[in-house]
Order: sequence, then structure tokens, then C-alpha cells
Amino acid sequence: MTAEMNWGGTNRLPNRGALIDRSRPVTFSFEGSLVEGFEGDTIASALCANGQWMISRSFKYHRPRGVLTMIGQDANTLVQIGDEPNCLADKRRIAPGLVVEGQNYFGSFDSDAGRFVEWVSKFLPVGFYYKTFHEKRSSWRFWEPIVRAMAGLGKIDPHAHHGYFDKQYLFADVAVIGGGPAGLAAAAEAAKAGGEVLLIDENPKLGGCLNYARFDESGEAACKADGELLNAVKAAGNIRVMSDAVVTGLFADNWIPVVRGNRFYKLRAKAIVVATGSIEQPAVFRNNDLPGIMLGSAAQRLIHLYGVRPGKRAVILTANDDGYAQAIDLLKIGSAVATVVDLRADPPQTALSKAVARAGITVHAGSAIAEAYHHGNKEHVVGVAVAPVAGEGQLSDPTASYECDLVLMSVGYSPAAHLLLQAGAKFAYSTASHMFEPREIPAGLYAAGSVAGQFNLDQVAAGGRRAGWAAARHAGGTVGAEPAEVSDPGAAQQTHPWPIFPHAKGGEFVDFDEDLKYDDLINGIADGFDNVELLKRYSTVGMGPSQGKHSAVAAVRIVARETGRDLAALTVTTQRPPYTPEKFGHLAGRIFDPERRTAMHHRHLELGAQMMPAGIWWRPAYYGPKAEREKAIREEVNAVRNDVALIDVSTLGGLDVRGPDAAEFLNRMYTFTYAKLAVGKSRYVLMTDQAGVITDDGVACRFSEEHFYVTATTSGVDAVYRSMLQWNAQWRLDVDVANVTAAYAGVNIAGPKSRQVLQRLCQDIDLSAEAFPYLGVREGTVAGIPARLLRVGFVGELGYEIHVPYGYGEALWDAVVEAGQPEGIRPFGVEAQRVLRLEKGHIIVSQDTDGLTNAWEADMPWALAKTKPFFVGGRSTQIMAKMPLLRKLVGFTLDDPALPCPEECHLVIKGGEIVGRVTSAVNSPSLGKVVGMAYVHPADAAPDSKIQIKIDGGRMIEGRVVKLPFYDPEGKRQEM
Amino acid sequence: MKIMNCPLNGPRNISEFVWGGEVKPMPDETKLSDREWAEYVFLENNTAGVVREWWCHVPTSYWFIAERNTITDEIVKTYPASEVFKSRVDFAGAKP
Amino acid sequence: MLPAFLPTGLLKYGFLKKYPAFRYIPKATELKQHYDVVIIGGGGHALATAYYLARNHGITNVCILERGYLAGGNTARNTAIIRSNYLTPEGVKFYEESLRLYRDLSQDLDFNILYSERGHFTLAHTDAAMRTSRWRAEVNKHLGVNSELIYPDEIARLCPSLNMSDDVRYPILGALYHPPGSIARHDAVAWGYAARAAQMGVEIHQQTPVTGLIIQNGKVKGVETPRGAIGAGQVLQAVAGMTSVVAKMAGFKLPIRTIPLQACVSVPLKPFLDQIIVSGSLHVYVSQSSRGELVMGGSTDPYGLYSTRSTLDFKEGLLGHMLELLPMLGEVKILRQWAGMADMTPDFSPIMGLTPVENYYIDSGWGTWGFKATPVCGKTMAYTIANNAPHELIKPFSYERFLTYSQVGEKGAASVGH
Repeated sequence: MTAEMNWGGTNRLPNRGALIDRSRPVTFSFEGSLVEGFEGDTIASALCANGQWMISRSFKYHRPRGVLTMIGQDANTLVQIGDEPNCLADKRRIAPGLVVEGQNYFGSFDSDAGRFVEWVSKFLPVGFYYKTFHEKRSSWRFWEPIVRAMAGLGKIDPHAHHGYFDKQYLFADVAVIGGGPAGLAAAAEAAKAGGEVLLIDENPKLGGCLNYARFDESGEAACKADGELLNAVKAAGNIRVMSDAVVTGLFADNWIPVVRGNRFYKLRAKAIVVATGSIEQPAVFRNNDLPGIMLGSAAQRLIHLYGVRPGKRAVILTANDDGYAQAIDLLKIGSAVATVVDLRADPPQTALSKAVARAGITVHAGSAIAEAYHHGNKEHVVGVAVAPVAGEGQLSDPTASYECDLVLMSVGYSPAAHLLLQAGAKFAYSTASHMFEPREIPAGLYAAGSVAGQFNLDQVAAGGRRAGWAAARHAGGTVGAEPAEVSDPGAAQQTHPWPIFPHAKGGEFVDFDEDLKYDDLINGIADGFDNVELLKRYSTVGMGPSQGKHSAVAAVRIVARETGRDLAALTVTTQRPPYTPEKFGHLAGRIFDPERRTAMHHRHLELGAQMMPAGIWWRPAYYGPKAEREKAIREEVNAVRNDVALIDVSTLGGLDVRGPDAAEFLNRMYTFTYAKLAVGKSRYVLMTDQAGVITDDGVACRFSEEHFYVTATTSGVDAVYRSMLQWNAQWRLDVDVANVTAAYAGVNIAGPKSRQVLQRLCQDIDLSAEAFPYLGVREGTVAGIPARLLRVGFVGELGYEIHVPYGYGEALWDAVVEAGQPEGIRPFGVEAQRVLRLEKGHIIVSQDTDGLTNAWEADMPWALAKTKPFFVGGRSTQIMAKMPLLRKLVGFTLDDPALPCPEECHLVIKGGEIVGRVTSAVNSPSLGKVVGMAYVHPADAAPDSKIQIKIDGGRMIEGRVVKLPFYDPEGKRQEM
Repeated sequence: MKIMNCPLNGPRNISEFVWGGEVKPMPDETKLSDREWAEYVFLENNTAGVVREWWCHVPTSYWFIAERNTITDEIVKTYPASEVFKSRVDFAGAKP
Repeated sequence: MLPAFLPTGLLKYGFLKKYPAFRYIPKATELKQHYDVVIIGGGGHALATAYYLARNHGITNVCILERGYLAGGNTARNTAIIRSNYLTPEGVKFYEESLRLYRDLSQDLDFNILYSERGHFTLAHTDAAMRTSRWRAEVNKHLGVNSELIYPDEIARLCPSLNMSDDVRYPILGALYHPPGSIARHDAVAWGYAARAAQMGVEIHQQTPVTGLIIQNGKVKGVETPRGAIGAGQVLQAVAGMTSVVAKMAGFKLPIRTIPLQACVSVPLKPFLDQIIVSGSLHVYVSQSSRGELVMGGSTDPYGLYSTRSTLDFKEGLLGHMLELLPMLGEVKILRQWAGMADMTPDFSPIMGLTPVENYYIDSGWGTWGFKATPVCGKTMAYTIANNAPHELIKPFSYERFLTYSQVGEKGAASVGH
């Protein structure tokens, strides 16, 4: 970089630069050197203004690369900005103090050691990594780290943090994507119908090509159109404009992501006009990737948007009128145009070409650039050789050469149809225009402008109006008369069919991102990958950061010609979102991960609970510091067994089943029978699916003839509820089911002293064992709170589950804690409950069962009704009864007190084979020994059978099968 | 994000719905062999084309039926389950 | 360094004047009237089966019919993870054989599939996930597969990029660590099989859909295509994503639902993540390819569909969780997203072997776990066809298992979410 320069750079033009604000100088750094620019500059425009033409090193060969498209359609300007890798320097605007670094180099950016790769490039043919490095298994192990280190572009900062990103929803009647002339016209027309119109443009300033392209010698056409179209948009009161906003995809039912700044918008529009324009395509010739060689539109962007002189002396390669317009642009800024090289044998005489001729510029008709030259360092173009075109892709010997520091390529376009294609539009190659053209566009989507093959400015505006009109009509707006259909015969003059000129010495880049040259594609085809999709995968053409935006068309043409296929029959390779890369942060946003807390959540925290996730809920695992986990659990267990303790059971699923058919409904949904269950009683429920697999359990409490309150597991209740409703949509029983899980908070007071605690709080229910026995259920009040009381026995002690409306949860908790002070009541958590229930031999569905456990395997035939005609899973359960049982769930203990407690999921082994696993095991505080449940071979399921358990370190220990439950087998304690 | 027209709630984002699979009316289990029953339980039509299937609007727990083209993802129409399941189902021996 | 590692195979490309092309994928030829074996589908499994039919059984009069382009279905769309840390003994033995074949596949095929051993971490964020992890580790170890349940300290040491903080919705409690877990270049696997099968005489016909099956007296006799009918001694269908549709032509239904599975890649980055990270609870997995792209995916879509369309919700959900695990990636960008079609079975195991139609075989039910089984599928299906009897390793995966309530429950290990 030169040390002395004017502010804003030596290449800065006076009086130009629609996007820069010369009153606001900005300094940033590139590769450690300070660079001066203006507000509104992109990194690339500021670097070009300061003569820094090399902006990146190429992916494979580490060749110097500079501006190619100036609109982010290539990987030539990828830079690293802090923790953001692969940032487009031709899109990212500069900011004071911005630290910009080059990417993908070894040693220094200016003399990158990675350049050696190109010296051996002859030995690295297309797909070379498939062809070697596998001589031995160890070969690739040796080479892979080297290849990996060479691959990749930007770097990750391991210490970076997820910054702030957020999301917002947007709605519109008509969304117009693209703020060029077509988009402006469409928005203005759509607005006439009165609906909400949203005009989204990725540039900072509306107008698109009108801001930089030239349609006539004077430049007035663009100005006039710009003024008229902008005024119409401004005049409409119902057009919202979003500039600097990129639409990255177009998903089903017009669902559109829009990225602007650190906000990710999701837009739903009734109708959409896609006016995304087209992407200028490079020509393929030797050294076409040198800095200083760029698309004609890129040079125009530099000149008109940023006031940057792209070069002092230019050669323009063209095949349309735009090349002549660019010649005039260059002349107007005082640059020289060495020559215009026109691929067309007989270029039409147009106003612009005549103006170029008047300026005395030599035009080489029917010619192409045979190669571009550099000073051996590939850092900038210094000249070109021009040769006559002898046939499609063939050149005669060069007839002229020119010195230059700028080469413009203006040989044609390809529609930026990515959004339309994502949405299911069909495009086909037109042999008239040599571009892909829309054939079929889904309802609610409309295309306008050059994406739809309209290039002439008047036609573009007309096309925009027609699309805007149609979109407004689709959105339900009141529209006027239908504008006439638009077709632009001029489109046929825009794009050359074959701007591809291989050179004997190679170096003609088709894909700049991936460093793929003409021969790489030809050789890939010769290797048998003779289909566009296969070639893409084999050669990686189009797989780079710009996803084929400047390479796909050339690749399709080359494949078609090499394989003798009709281009018209070929499609572009599938377009996948996003259109331009989206940050992870944008998609993640602020990361919402919902969680549920019970009404007593804060009480648990105050009591020092360690919380654990239970499905979407948080539950207390145990109360006390982590270091004292075992002690805490033991004390909680002892409190339940000996005194009284309480646990928050609010997360337990609750379903109110009401109606004349309530009992019949439960009969069908669960394995037991409920028709004869007395009011005021509860009964265990076990649910199986149609395949007879156990899916849930709980209890059904009958509060009246027509009302059951059914519990379900915390993580299972939603599925249970949904399944109930789906079945009844078919059975049409007279029953109503409501999921009241979150409507109730609950505590379970358990322990031999629980009755005396509860008695202090509950006067309207006779709590005596006779009046309110085990498995009884009652409604009444507890501490003045309306409550449902359940005498259930999960933990195996006298206990009462108290379910109250959610809002009373904390008050209930506090009341019980206070009432229990004389008895020393304390809370217990999920861990202690698991121990207690295991001592009691109760299963936990999904811990002691798995995705295939049936009632026979779980040893629960007692829960299967034998007399009712049907329950879900019944038939499958019957069928499985006839089949040999492969495993059975049993209780076991370890007789040798020296043996360690097995972990859950340690295996049960028989004869060297896996026959089952331990599902639950604990060193029981109440029993003073290890107890657990395990699946064992049915032959070993009888009490006192010996089983072999493989524990940590592969050690085998012996367990003994024990009849369940382990604790209080007569059930006296829970029934007292 | 697709939009699905819930017969109860109108058009909503499809993320509010849960798919329940093809509508596969349950045959009379007393008339089927074990193998035929297993076929009913496990085998799927998995049709590529327009399929009549269960959907549930989760916030309102409302099950309904949609006809959807599984190739294009086009939702052809949606309607209440009662249009297919018109009357109460009883099993032999069950008390009404 | 070591001369044996020198890529001498590349010398010819530098020194020869003309590019020494080798046609890995043969030119299309005319269809013959009859083949001993016709394989419907031209993906990895089909190509591998053809290769092993020719190599192991000497059956070379084989024709592969692919409706699109070679290996353009799920072979082209998967995220190339290879592992054998399954849950059931049947699954572990099967995938372990696959992994064994994979290790030497580059040498076998003389085609570098870029097989790269990375270490596979299945993170556990809940008690239930910890239990499943230990279950898998125990089964794996018992069957000689290298797997271990490890705890946060060890995870942090082996995989320093991961966010091990407690200050997230689902802190990491442990992980199932499977050191042999690998990735490979998915396309290369198919191309390598195709090239070597073709060299042994197998015909590969792209753009040739099968439109009907010729079945007489319960026995398959041939297939119909737009290019004419072809006689066949035996027919294999290996058409992930279209399984039920093709099986319907053969006259039987399957316990399969076809559901899209989406994935995406980031822009290329310098290597920073060596491991394969999976989180069932968060429904995400990620690895970094040899090109430097982060390859990411999650669980299957919420509903069935025969389409490879992409959705935005998939990416939003995935990246939210990804940044919980790897918060330094906020500024990294997504380059491309896509989808494949997963044939999901009720027990998350494949359906392989004989069918109700004589001489008609099926290789299906590959859900989200097909790529990693490619070599073993080829080997066992080739055996099954050659012997008209299922290979020992695939007997548990028969179609019949559903009708006899003998499922092989792999849900805990095969799905990302469970």
C-alpha cells in the first residue's frame, strides 16, 4: 500500500459516488495498515480507491484476487473481521476502527507461502484427492491434516461469544424483492390497490442499476427513470421500504427470511414480486482472475456508487451494448479505453456503439481476449492479447495486444432466479437469449425485470407494473385494468452463448471460488462425471461460497457441449437456500428454549434445592449442596420412612375425564377396568400403544360417576392427552378430556406422621384410616384451599397427594411446611422419591421400560383386564402372550455386602450373551442393602435365581432375584 | 413455514400442528388373524400422492383430517374428523 | 517424510501431455434383454451390492437402474457419519462389520473415500440420556466396540471447543464417547463402488426409472422401464426415499413412513473441530469436513413428505441449539441447506432380505442411518441374493419381524432425538 495519498485514496474520483459521504472520513485497517475511506464505502471500494487491488488469496492456488462483481457474487473479496470469517469486502461497509484481515494465506498476505500449490498444480488434477493418498490405510492419516489445513478459508475465534441477534415478524399484502427499476415500478403499481406493500432492497439506496448503469450516452435515461420511479414510490403512502435488507430464501406459503443488521425478520406476504435482477457472468480466458479484471458492472459500481477509478487504461471485452456504455463511463472519468473487443462478428450499430466509434476507440469485432498478462506476480493485469474468434470457443492466433490496467468483461447475464427456483419455479435455457428464462412460476409469485428476461428500461418498468398489478390482485386488492403483457426482444442481445476460450497453457478460471479451470471440468467429464450434478460434486464447481452464481452457467454450457446434450433440455443445478450466507447468530436469534416452573419453584431454590430438568419442567433433585448429594438423599428418604416429608408433584400430568362415557373411555385407553371403580376410589392405570408397548402409567381417581381425574407421567402427559383425543375423534364417546396438568399444583405429604400434619390443615375431610383409606380420593379444603386429595402409595408410606389450583401452589406448600414444623417436616426431591419407589418395587415408565417393553416383560399381567372387549394394545398384548418371552423385569438384591451397587444399564449376562440390563438400582437406606430391578432371562425370573451383572471394568457380580416389593411387602405402612 | 387451515381455528403456521399419520380406520379385531392384526398395526400405505391424514392443532388440542399431497406438500383440504367418523363406535360386549 | 506416503499416483497427471482420463462411471450402453440380477436404484447401497455380487460371488451379469443420476439420492445428501455405537447387539454387530469394511475401503476400491477417524461424542443432557449412553456403552464394550461413558472433565479435555458451562438450558452431564466414529466423503464411496463394479462388468444405467415389475406366480421375472422391459433372474430394490412406492409395484406394504431429513453446511473454515458432536436432547449434530465446512443436521422433519424441499424452521431450531454447544460460531455463516428423504421404521432398524415375492429382495428402512451401513449392506445383500437366503448379520432385520412382534429397538441410538 502506498504511504502517501489523498484522503479517500488516490483512485478517488471527484463528484461521483452515490453511496459515499465525503464529509465523513473513516479510517480502518487492512492487514495492519491504516486505510482511509468515506462513510458508505465498502471495504473493497476503499481498498481499490487506495490502490490495494489484491483483497484475498484464492482457495486452492492462493492466487491474488481482487474485485470481480462488486456485489458479493464471488469469493474474491472474502476477508476476516474479528471473529467473523468469510466476510464479503465488496458488501461490508467500513466503520471507524474496523480491523480487516486477509484470509487463507501462510506467512504474509503479500507473499503467501501457499502460492507453491500452483507450482505443483499440474500434479493436482480435478478430484486428485480421490486418486491418491490411500496407498495404505495410514497414508490418508498422514495427508489428511495437510489437506485440511490447506482447505477452509476464514478462522474461528474460540473465545468469541454469541453476540446479540434478534428476530421480528413482518406481514405484507405484497412484498417486492429488489429495489431496482422493476421493483420500484412493481411496488408503486401494487400500492395503487391500497394494501400494505413492503419493498425490500439489499442495497443502501433504492434504484438498483439506475444508480450505476448507463442506458444512453448522456446518462439521462437512468436519471429520468430513477426520478420517476422513486417519486412514485415515495408518493404512495402505503409502501414501506427496507433498504440494506437481504432476502435469503423463499419458503413455502410465501415465508421469507430477511436479514438486516443483527435482526432476522420473518415475513409473510400474500403475494410476492421477485425483481432480483440478474447476475453478470464473467468470460473464461487465460488469467481471467487477475486483479484488475472485473465485470463491467463491477467497474460501473466502483465509479458511480463509490467514486473510485477502476483503472487508467482499459480493455473491454463485450458481447452486448453494455460494454460500449462502460467505455463511455470510462471516458467520462478520464480513463483511457485501449480497445473494445466484441465477441460478435457483426455488432449492431447502436447509439452507444456509435458514440464509442466517434471517440476513436478501436473495436475488434468477432474477437476475444486470448489471455491476460501480469508481471510474473499475478498481482495485477498489465495487458491482454486479442485474437479473432474462429469458432465456438476457438480462437485464431492473437492479432493484437494491449497494455492496460483494467479489463472489463461484459458478455452476458444470468437471472438471479434463486428465490424463484427455491419456491418451485421452473426455468429453462433459451437458445434465443442464451439465458435461463422462467417457464412456470407458482401462484402468488411474480417475476419482473431482468430476472424475467426484461432488459430494456421501458420494458423493465412495464414488467414491474404488470407484476405489481398481478400481485396486488392476488393479495385481494382492488386493481384497475390489466397492464399489457411484456416481452423484451432486446433480451436476445444481452448474452453471448459461448464466452469461453480455453488456452493451450490453461489458467482459464470457470469457478473463481473453487479455483477451477476449464480443463478441470473437461477432465472431470472425461473421468465419467458427465452430468451437471455429478460434475459439480466431483469437481466442486459451484460448491464454493458464492454457490455457482458466476460459474454455474459456464459449467452447464461446458457439460452440454462435451456430452452432446441439448442445452435447452438442461436445467441449472438445484438452488438451495440461502441465497446469500446467513449467520448462525441470525438464525439462532436470542435462543428461546421454553421451560416450565412449578408454583413452588422459588421455595425450592430458597431451600437450596439442586434442580434437574424433567421434560420441559424443572424439579428439585434433592435439597442441599452438590458435595453432600448422597447424604441429602439418604436423609430425605429417612424422613419419609420415619417421620414426614413433602415433595412437589405439580409436574405430574393431570387429565380430567368427564361425561357419561368416562369409565368406558378409560376402559378403552387403559389396560385395567374402571367401570366398577367406586366413587372416591383410585386405581392404577397402565397405557399401551397399538403394538402393545407400555407407554405411560398413573392413577385414575373417580370423583363422581362421570368424572375421573387421571394422572400421567410428567414427560408423557401431552402424548397421552393427544392420543386420547385422537381415539375419541374416532369412537365418538360422550366424554370430555381436559389436560389440567398446568392448572394444578400438587404436593405429596408422605410418611407415618403425615396424617397428623394434614389434620391441622384439613377439617372438612375425615382423614381416619377407616373413612379415607388407602387408594381413596376426596375433595375438600386444605388450609382453606379447594383441593383434591389422593391416598396413593408411590413411596410406600402413609401419604396424601394434595392437588390444588396452580395459583395456590405456593400457599399450600407454605401451609404444609408450617403445619409440619412440630414433626420436623422437610422437603424431599426426585432422587429420594426414586429410591423410595424402588424400595417399593414401582416401575418408572421409560426408565424400567423401554421403547419395546410389553406388559408380559414388565411382569404386569395383574394390570391387564381379562373381561373387557377392547383396550388399545389389547390384541397385540394377547398375541405376544402366545410368543416365547425373551426377558422379564424382576427385583434383585446383592447378597454379598462387599459388592458395589450396579449402575443403571449395567448388563445382565447369561452364557456370555446379553439377556437384559439393570434398570434401577440403589443402595437402599431403608433396607441396608443393594436393591434393584433388571431384565433377566425368563428362566432366571423366579425368586432366588442367580443372575450375573457386568459392572464397571467388566467385572461380573452375582445378584439374586427377589420378589417385589422389597420394602413392606404386605403394604401395611401405606395402608395405615 | 407452511400454513394449514385448521377447521376450528382457521389458517395457522404449521408449527402449531402435529402430524398424526394416515387415517387408518381400525378393523374389527375379532375378525382378523394375528398376522392380519400385526399388518394393520405396523404396515403403512405411505402413499406418494394425496393422502387423508390426521393432524392436531396443538394449542387447542383439536384433531381433524387433512388431505395433503405428499409429493408437493400441498394441503388440498381440511375438515373435522366427524365427517369421516360419523357415529359412535362400540365394541362387542361393551356397555354403552 | 515417509516415502510410502508420497502420492506417486499423481505423477502421471503432471508429466503426461494428455490428461490420462479414467472413466470411473462407465458410458451408458444399450440395455440387454436379460440380466441375472437387476438392482433398482443407483445409490451407495445398490452400487455396493453390485460390487460385492461381482467380487465375492462372481455374479457380474448385473444391471443397475437409476432414475436420476448416480448416487444422487440420500447417498448425496447424508452427512457422512460412520459409527457402530448402537444399542442392540444385532445393530452393533452389523454396524461394526460396516465400520471394519469402511476402514479398508479406500484400499479395496483403490479410490480414496477420505475416511477420517474423528471420535464421536453423543452428549447427554438429561438423566434419561445418561442412562441410554451407559446402556450403549455397556452393550458396545461387551461386543468389543470401543465406547465409553465419559463425564464433563473428560469431555472438556477431549473436545475443548464445547461449551461445558452450567449456565445453559441443558448443561452437558456426560457423553457416550466412541473413538472409532468417522466421517468419509459420501459421494466417493458410491463412485468407488461404481467404478470397481463397472470394471467387473456391472452395467450402470442412469436416467432409467423402473416403471413396473413383471411378477408371475409370486415370482419376479423382470422390470419395466421407459427404455423397454428387462428380464431378470433376481431383483433387488434399494431405493431409499421411494421404498414404499417401489414395494407397492411388487405388491406389498412396509412399516415405513417417508419423512424428510434436513441438513446444512457452513462456509469453509480452517480446521478447528476434529470431533463429531451429537446431542440427542438438543437435536443437533456437527462435524467439520475435510473441506472445512461444518456439516450439521438434526432430527427428521415433523411430518411425512416425498420432497426434498428445505424449511426455515429447521435452520432456526438447529442453530439455536448449535450456539448453545459452540457459542463461538455466532458470526459463522450457513452456506447451503438441503434435505433427503428418510424411510423411518417403527424400531429404527432397517428392513433387509427376502420379501413376499420370490427372487425379489429389499434393502430398505434406512431412515437416517443408511450411509454408515453402505459396505455391510452391499456385502450382506450380495450374499443374500447369491444364496437366496439372508446373511446371518441381517436375519434380525427381516420384513417378517414386525408381523411376529420381534422388533430390533434402536430408537435410543439411531435417531438424533429419542
